[in-house]
Amino acid sequence: MILKGRTISGGKAKGEVVKIDEPLSFLGGVDGATGEIRVGNGGNVAGRILVFPKGKGSTVGSFVMYDLMVHGKAPAAVINESAETIVATGAVISSIPMVDRIPTIDIFRDGDVVSVDADEGVVEIEGVELKEAVSSAIMMNDKVLMLKRPDSCRSFPGRWSLVAGKIEAGETPVEAARREIFEETSIDVGTPDAALRPIYVREDAVLWKVHPFLYRTNMAKPVINDENEGFQWASVEDIGGMNTVPETEYAVNELLRK
Amino acid sequence: MDFTREEEAILRGEEGEGKRKAMELVTALGKIYGAEDLIDITSAHLSGASYKTIGDGGLKYLEDMVAGGAMVSVPSTLNPVGMDRGRWAEMHISPEFAEKQLRIIELYGSMGIKTTCSCTPYTGANVPTLGDHVAWAESSALSFVNSYIGARTNREGGPGALAAAILGKTANYGLHLDENRRPTVVIDADIDGSVFSYSLLGQAVGMAIGGGVPYFKGIDPCVEEAKTLSAAMAASGSVALWHAEGVTPEAGNHDISGLEVIHIGKDELEAAYSKLNTVDDVQLIALGCPHLTEKEMHDIATFLKGKRKVRDDVEIWFCTSAEVRERCPDDVRIMEEFGPVLADTCMVVAPIEGTFERTGTNSAKAGNYLPTLCSQKAMCRDFVKLMEVVM
Repeated sequence: MILKGRTISGGKAKGEVVKIDEPLSFLGGVDGATGEIRVGNGGNVAGRILVFPKGKGSTVGSFVMYDLMVHGKAPAAVINESAETIVATGAVISSIPMVDRIPTIDIFRDGDVVSVDADEGVVEIEGVELKEAVSSAIMMNDKVLMLKRPDSCRSFPGRWSLVAGKIEAGETPVEAARREIFEETSIDVGTPDAALRPIYVREDAVLWKVHPFLYRTNMAKPVINDENEGFQWASVEDIGGMNTVPETEYAVNELLRK
Repeated sequence: MDFTREEEAILRGEEGEGKRKAMELVTALGKIYGAEDLIDITSAHLSGASYKTIGDGGLKYLEDMVAGGAMVSVPSTLNPVGMDRGRWAEMHISPEFAEKQLRIIELYGSMGIKTTCSCTPYTGANVPTLGDHVAWAESSALSFVNSYIGARTNREGGPGALAAAILGKTANYGLHLDENRRPTVVIDADIDGSVFSYSLLGQAVGMAIGGGVPYFKGIDPCVEEAKTLSAAMAASGSVALWHAEGVTPEAGNHDISGLEVIHIGKDELEAAYSKLNTVDDVQLIALGCPHLTEKEMHDIATFLKGKRKVRDDVEIWFCTSAEVRERCPDDVRIMEEFGPVLADTCMVVAPIEGTFERTGTNSAKAGNYLPTLCSQKAMCRDFVKLMEVVM
């Protein structure tokens, strides 16, 4: 599975992911002589694919990255959501391959084996397959239709979700959304009232590229098929308290803002 | 990004690895900020000169750059370093620090950079003119040349500015472009016009707006006042360009109708003052942030002449460039009765935290950085009030 990002500092590397979930200041955040990470869950950057959202803090951080390189403790590559000056400078002067504009770092897990081809700006997580799906919020009177996935379901068993399913070969996302809604609820929708750019959700060895849609309806009586074991009309506030598929609350809120 | 044939050749490494790396860095930074191409520069000013701030990683980086044959291709100057290179012992600097600091200066020098080591190169060593594209680091200096002179630079970092100096080019984005030099807010300033009031004004504006391009009404700053105003706004906020009606060269180019107007007067200056003052007594009084000009040296000497420092437990440092120190020997003689006139350094980039805990200054910039970069409690007052502490 290959993801396209943007080249910041050229080169190629392969290694295991060490991920930091917060913006990182190399000054104070990483020991320049040992590579030890002093924030988050700790660990060591040496020889790893270092993944974090973006840099922050003192401009001296660039030289901490250089120090890591001098001591043989530099990360094999850096992956950011959005590059800023300090880390980009550090990566270039220290010859550390670096890619940014990866949709979200949530798709990486500590220990993933990742190949980075920073010359081409691409990243590959080994053994992870990309699958495309649609996820549709059906809105009626400020309530969202939520479906309960059975425990036997192959992906996200036992969770609540929007009306979701895989895109089949030859289908556009909108076609897939309409088909899935009809199959799973017997509701026949027209064109979507809102759509979002794809959201990426990692589930073990699968990376879901999910296209979210919103449909408003005045009168709908869902008749669910055997893919789900129940449904409910939930208020937007309730979704946060339900055991949902990842990013459901986020997707609904973003769709409603459109 | 669009590259010329010459730039593409550099990127392919046809002019050596050093230039290729410099191009890779300038390009990476350009990409981040959405630059479409590179632009020729007429000068550079580099930060990252003090061993205290760049550490062993920075020193090794410079060693490797020099070993790779790096050489600047436009006139370039260097920011203050961690000590006066002749009088470091008076600053309580260790021989180990001094040795590394002297090596850093030597390395910059061997890349063709003028090692005057000042944060006010625009008063002598490196003076851009209106419309020049330059690549300057040092937030106070770059804001001064953008605003008071009308040269054009972004807030460059140390390695980025060095890469630009090597290439003679920087990425063309931000303040190199007309549309980003437009005012974003009007500041209706009501100050008493003293140098210190400009320091507090800058502090208050930085606190109020953070970033952006302020357009001032009601001020008429001379060089010294523009210097301290630039420094304060770059430290309390991230202002890299400002205009002053009837004063700065680009102020008249812009239509300010419809912009938000913020009033900065007595209340705002008082809030700025209390933010900067966290202690009532000091062990060190340090003046010259940014570096003292000839006029300031003369004003200080005139005030001090015939007076006496009575407190031996408080040191006074006067910080300026070697050039200015050389140009006013009579003033220096008077000032030396009170404390050393130090060249090439300042209280922010020197490792004063090894010696002092409480430091006084008349600079809002120093007032911001003394607590964060030097672990000091700070006193920030007008020069005359600072001198009252020791007299």
